[in-house]
Amino acid sequence: MIPIIIDIVLRTGDIALAAVALSAGYSLVKFPNIALMQYATVGPFLAYLFASWGAPLVAAALAACIAVGLIAVLLNITVFDRLLKSGSAIAMIGSLAAGMLFTAALLVTAGPDSRHFDFPVEAPLNVFGSPVTGPQLLAVAISLAAFVLLAALLFLTDIGRCMRATATNPDLARATGIDARLVVRVIIFLSGVLAALGGIGIAVKGELNILMGQDLMLPVFAAAILGGLGNPMGAIFGALVIATAETLAATLNFGPLIGKAFLFIPANYITAASFLILVLALLFRPHGLFVNEVKRV
Amino acid sequence: MAETVLDARALRKSFGAHLVLDDVDLAVEAGSIVGLLGPNGSGKSTLLNVLTGFLAADGGQVSLRGSSVGALPPSSIARLGLVRTFQLPRMPSRMSVREVLLAANRAQGGLFDALVGRPTDTARTDDLLEQLKLAPVADQPASAISGGQKKLLSIAAALANRPSVLCLDEPTAGVHPSLREHIVAMLKRANAGGVTLLIVEHDMGFVRNLCRRCVVLDRGKLIADCPPRELTEHPRVVEAYLGRKVARPVVEVPA
Amino acid sequence: MSEFALHVATIAALYAMLALSLNLQAGFAGLINFGQIALFGCGTYGAALAFSHALGPLAGFALGLVLVVLVALLFARLGRNLGADYWGIATLSIGEILRTIATNEIDITGGAQGIGGIPALFDTGSPLSGRLILFAVVLAALIATWFAFRRLTQSKFGLSLRLLREEPQLAAAFGYDLDGLRRRIMLAAALPAALSGFLFAHYLTFVGPDQLFASETFVIWTMVVVGGLGSHAGAVIGAIVVQCLFALVPFAKDAFGLPSEFVAAMRLVLIGGGLIGFLLLRPQGLIPERIGGVRG
Ligand SMILES: Nc1ncnc2c1ncn2[C@@H]1O[C@H](COP(=O)(O)OP(=O)(O)OP(=O)(O)O)[C@@H](O)[C@H]1O
Ligand SMILES: [Mg+2]
Repeated sequence: MIPIIIDIVLRTGDIALAAVALSAGYSLVKFPNIALMQYATVGPFLAYLFASWGAPLVAAALAACIAVGLIAVLLNITVFDRLLKSGSAIAMIGSLAAGMLFTAALLVTAGPDSRHFDFPVEAPLNVFGSPVTGPQLLAVAISLAAFVLLAALLFLTDIGRCMRATATNPDLARATGIDARLVVRVIIFLSGVLAALGGIGIAVKGELNILMGQDLMLPVFAAAILGGLGNPMGAIFGALVIATAETLAATLNFGPLIGKAFLFIPANYITAASFLILVLALLFRPHGLFVNEVKRV
Repeated sequence: MAETVLDARALRKSFGAHLVLDDVDLAVEAGSIVGLLGPNGSGKSTLLNVLTGFLAADGGQVSLRGSSVGALPPSSIARLGLVRTFQLPRMPSRMSVREVLLAANRAQGGLFDALVGRPTDTARTDDLLEQLKLAPVADQPASAISGGQKKLLSIAAALANRPSVLCLDEPTAGVHPSLREHIVAMLKRANAGGVTLLIVEHDMGFVRNLCRRCVVLDRGKLIADCPPRELTEHPRVVEAYLGRKVARPVVEVPA
Repeated sequence: MSEFALHVATIAALYAMLALSLNLQAGFAGLINFGQIALFGCGTYGAALAFSHALGPLAGFALGLVLVVLVALLFARLGRNLGADYWGIATLSIGEILRTIATNEIDITGGAQGIGGIPALFDTGSPLSGRLILFAVVLAALIATWFAFRRLTQSKFGLSLRLLREEPQLAAAFGYDLDGLRRRIMLAAALPAALSGFLFAHYLTFVGPDQLFASETFVIWTMVVVGGLGSHAGAVIGAIVVQCLFALVPFAKDAFGLPSEFVAAMRLVLIGGGLIGFLLLRPQGLIPERIGGVRG
């Protein structure tokens, strides 16, 4: 049981940051930004680059997150804001195309091979009788710290209040003197930072390669949609659901259900679990688990 | 006594805690022209939305020629002949005015009709464009014409749809007086041809000219059902429009 | 060299059919399909499965049709209560699920190795003349698709599609059954896509899941956006332009002595850059949609 829970927590951490980033961005700029998945790839690569120049890992990671946040803001101003005038679907296609350009850039500069962050190899720690490595703990700590900071920012600070006000009703917020453009930029910056941080979290406990973002895409979308796109805290819950489903699909023995001794879902189908949840969610709860559909004229 | 085509019973609709339709009963006779009046925000557009299936009612039922349509999607209700226009018509930007009008008449518009190349009846379209003075802009993108012209186009489109009951949401708001005459004439002609009309309108002249029966909504309740000339005498109508303490019944309804 | 030109022309024509199909959905009806390649895959696997069960190409085509109708109906059903962007994500995931199935049901689909040795459709003794005939067939299929789609969109049915794309509420007010429209348009668009897949399988003689990556869908998207959403000629020209550029990439690599990553990166730049560049600078595409062309 304990190993399953640990797996779920680790997997939730993988998905949740990017899902929160997607949802937070969507709350103010109404299109699903596929390029975020590439932010989660570019982030660890930049951190790796800075670390290879001799920066300590924390500083490298921080610098990479800020750089990605700035890239996100820049792309929003130059590309997505303009595309959004032609509709959210067009903006989504544009974000997909931007993602391809990132992949191309990484392919030429970093190449297709996987890399690792250099950590001194230590014996794994013992958590309730299960082995957990230092980097894994670090990744979970990164996610938790990010959530706490984000929640504090959203619910305790002035800028957070402005963000939530702008997300609910941009016109009203503007009328009350909130600088909506600034609020949007701050949120976009944060979504870039969160996505990059998510990617770094995945990379420190495993490897980094240019396909990371692509592999992340559908689980992240599934998590964000389950939580209700535009609801960042819901996305964490969505990530938990997806991680649980994936982990259970991977470890549970379904044999007894059909009267056989053993039946495990083939490993290759486990990635498809989140796709399937996504399709089911879109069929039956397109606005997330928490919201019933509101019909408007 | 003519037969009832459109019959609404005990309709209720609320948005959150805000009750917008409160037990509304409305029976519309075949071939009649009924005016639907009421102050801003009294629930007129909401009533049209519920009648035509664009909003689901919280309670009550709607029937068209005796059969219930409450559970049907708006497109099915329109196909049964209950057609409506919108208060703020939105028009497509990559279709011409003429194309919108052509599309409004569904006859021979199927996939199969297209494959066998069945021709469409364009004479009626040209006629409608002429009548509503839309011919000069017929080939402009439908979203690029003026607000009043959009209103005209939406009425023309609804008529091209060949409805049996037509609900119009403020057909003359924003339309030049000279064109109002055209609209009145056109609606009278449609009515003479058998189309039942339910018209939301603030302009009393228009209502007097066209309707022989008016119903008045106030804060979601039907407060009056009488000929237009009796409205000025109707105490609850006066109260709804002018507030409680007015003694002298003057009605010049706000536009 | 002429064999290479024939190859590029055949692939371009097959992709042009896919582009016409996507353009009918996205350009005319506003259906943002990110799973287009799955429709194509129904055709390729129809041909491959029929072959591996020792059935003839006719059975393969029929099987492809059955598969594609099912997938198209599933797509249309999902479109019932989803906005355009959500639907894009839904179709993308279905495409990925189908690719996962194709990769993992090794007993049926041959898994990642795919199914090879599918015979050429026209066995004339010489491979080149067989390929020439196939090209002629592909070209005929492309022209037939173009003609049929033009007929569709020039009719009142085409008007209802454009109304669905821009003002679905108005379409509903006119009495158009939006679910039915979506279903019909998905079916109409799915047939040429499956046909393209079927011909592709018999042309390449090999079918595998790697042909069904989501990135292939975005290649088709680039063709449609570059050519012009809502223009049939645009879709065909976009397909030709993109395929010709793709064909040039390996030459450029050899000419400049670039590493092999360059080919993959260059394809990404062409697709991504083409999409962004056109969406930003020329959203109407090379051949803009004609407004007011339908006069009854
Ligand atoms: N989609 C909605 N969500 C929440 N409240 C709504 C919605 N639509 C209408 N309302 C509320 O319902 C009430 C009635 O609105 P409705 O549009 O029916 O009024 P109306 O009689 O047509 O007014 P007007 O003459 O200004 O057009 C209003 O108070 C409005 O705020
Ligand atoms: Mg109104």
